[in-house]
Amino acid sequence: MNRSLVIVLGALALGVVLFVGSFAMSQRLCRICVQEPPGSLHWLQREYHLNNDEMARIQKLHNDYLSQCDAMCRMITAKQQEVEAVLNTATNINPVAQQKLNDLEVCRIHCQAQMLQYFINVSRIMPPDQGHRYLTEMERNTLGLSPK
Amino acid sequence: MNTNTNPDDAKLSALLRQSRSSPPLPPRFQENVWRRIEDSEATMKSDTWLDVLAALVLRPRLALAVATLLVMAGALFGAREGNRMAQQDAQTQYMTAVAPVAMR
Repeated sequence: MNRSLVIVLGALALGVVLFVGSFAMSQRLCRICVQEPPGSLHWLQREYHLNNDEMARIQKLHNDYLSQCDAMCRMITAKQQEVEAVLNTATNINPVAQQKLNDLEVCRIHCQAQMLQYFINVSRIMPPDQGHRYLTEMERNTLGLSPK
Repeated sequence: MNTNTNPDDAKLSALLRQSRSSPPLPPRFQENVWRRIEDSEATMKSDTWLDVLAALVLRPRLALAVATLLVMAGALFGAREGNRMAQQDAQTQYMTAVAPVAMR
């Protein structure tokens, strides 16, 4: 094989290894270093360019909502268990099972409405353009709604 | 220019030439010499872009500069990507907190 070709290919391979190696190492380190503690909302401040006052109001809203959210999740889990219990004993969708399914769905709808209300409240604290962007993003991620 | 026309000197030179013993040349000496000359000329003529590139690559200063540049570029792009991924992780954490799967 041509000596020059071997040298050039070797140099290229070394270059690729150097670039990819430093890229991977830097990416990993940066991801670990920048990682936020659980529950932190700093990313929200950065992403939607919020000032400290807006951030404090959102943080309070967020904490209040989380306690509501926990209660709602417990309620949904309880309703799911009721549906499971009825379906385990029944061989068909009888009126009781139908009622339990309806209850579960009503509970879900209620929770989704509260979640949407939280998103709307948060977006109102933000500057209008950022608020609109936040709301669109949240609706798309949670309910699969297409951007307005 | 001073030309030496002394017949004694010419005689002396001839004697000296005869007295100097020259070793026998190896077999096919002349042919080998010509072949080596032709080979070296051929090598000089076939300097393709690949050879030029290989010669450049082997320059230590240039190689070091390119390697440094590649490492720095990799680190820079990696840091940007790491930042973006950390932001995405935080957003996913937030979504999981405010909209658990059971509610969606």
